Amino acid sequence: MDLALQLLFTGIGIGAVYALVALGFVLIFRATNVVNFAQGEFSMVAAYLMVVFAVDLGWPYWLSFLLALAGMALLGAIFNLGVYYPLRHRTFLPVIIATIGASILLANSVLAIYGPQPQVLEGWFDTPGIQLGPVYLDSQYLLIIAVTIVLVIFNYWFFEHTMLGKKLQATSQDKEMASLLGISVSTMIMITFIYSAVLGGLAGILVAPVLFVSIQMGSTIALKAFAATIIGGFGDVAGAIIGGLALGIIETFGAAYISVPYKDGFAFLVLVAFLIFRPQGIFGERVAEKA
Amino acid sequence: MALLQINDLIVLYGEIEALRGVSLSVDEGQVVTLLGANGAGKSTTLRAISGLAKPAAGEILFDGQSIAGFGPEAIVRLGISHVPEGRRIFPGLSVKENIMLGGSNRRAAKSELSREADAMFDLFPDIRPFSNALGWTLSGGQLQMVAVARGLMAKPRLLLLDEPSLGLAPVIVQAVFRIISEIRRNTTVLLVEQNARMGLSVADHGYVLETGRIVLGGKPDELWGNEAIAAAYLGGGHAKVTA
Repeated sequence: MDLALQLLFTGIGIGAVYALVALGFVLIFRATNVVNFAQGEFSMVAAYLMVVFAVDLGWPYWLSFLLALAGMALLGAIFNLGVYYPLRHRTFLPVIIATIGASILLANSVLAIYGPQPQVLEGWFDTPGIQLGPVYLDSQYLLIIAVTIVLVIFNYWFFEHTMLGKKLQATSQDKEMASLLGISVSTMIMITFIYSAVLGGLAGILVAPVLFVSIQMGSTIALKAFAATIIGGFGDVAGAIIGGLALGIIETFGAAYISVPYKDGFAFLVLVAFLIFRPQGIFGERVAEKA
Repeated sequence: MALLQINDLIVLYGEIEALRGVSLSVDEGQVVTLLGANGAGKSTTLRAISGLAKPAAGEILFDGQSIAGFGPEAIVRLGISHVPEGRRIFPGLSVKENIMLGGSNRRAAKSELSREADAMFDLFPDIRPFSNALGWTLSGGQLQMVAVARGLMAKPRLLLLDEPSLGLAPVIVQAVFRIISEIRRNTTVLLVEQNARMGLSVADHGYVLETGRIVLGGKPDELWGNEAIAAAYLGGGHAKVTA
């Protein structure tokens, strides 16, 4: 039982990272009808930016954190202008290929600069964690969970209680109609890309001290997050968050009770099971609302 | 000077000429109805005015200013609001949110838009009970009311209405047209209709469009009086002409 509680805590922590990246997937998918296959690279680039600022340059952690997020906002804007915007009137296929291309470009640019050796990034806190009864709460996991909770609340407030959030929703549901009402569709899509890049970046920065900072971390996280969006019901915001958490918990328990080497396999086992038995995901019915 | 003046407008869809030199004018304070069969180019005319379709040639003057080639976001800011075919209510947003977004063409705080949307329910009391219902849950008539309310939130000088009666039960059609006769007190309306009787009943002027060209224009009773036109486009007009 103690072990189960411990695993639950760790699972939620890692699941929160998947949830943040999955949220980025969903927001871009809803705004552009395209899956951004470079979403995981956003996490990877942000982690390396932290290495540049906090490790190589030795700047304070909080300053490095803010600069890395600002860098991600800039990357999101450039990504929109360079990858999505020129192809926005084409079908989804060229856009998807372009995001895959951008993902390869980002990964190899970082590889060219830092080489294949993984980098180490310290956590935010000096204290490694606290013992709470039978469960040891790792401080970095606590931070991940806290930030994710704050972001989920912010996301809800932003989309449900601000006019800008409503305009973003309107744009994702019917771009032509949104433009007829005077909503600047290109601005809305720009905001979506910047927001998604920052979300992905946050996930990368938060998870970096738990994993190594490596070129592959982006694709690993992205695949899990992508699985999370399918489990949750593709295009559903709540589904992405719950799918991410569920996936984190499942793989942590699977690794502990079944097999450590197959840890990454559990995510895809669950994904395949969902694709066969419930392809619309947990919240699948809601997709009908958007029809 | 007319509020809206269109001269020799040509719109192409690929190789096909959807509009082949359309000219029409709408005076301030008027309701002008554009009649015609399916595919005659009625919706394309409205789409060209609101910026959704790019004209290949011709002039579109709004209040004397050329707006041909402007994007839809710029045109709605100038004061032309387009309520398109099929209503296009955002399915995942509530009725009130849909209506509030109609004010996106001008700078207005959320609280102000909320107040204006509440006031809009006085004109459309039938949809007030559904204020918090999501768009996809509404019936066709309710959707049409929301679409017109949303269009009016732009505070337009010119309202473009595309087939507001399409697919609605006769009672609902009458309710929609009662609203149009309310709107005309302070807004100019360019109305596209297949239902010629209803369309002309509220109009000051009518045009008949046929395969991308205006073939006839005039006052409603002049249009009713034209036997060939009445039989071909206005449906059931024949008996009236022979009487």
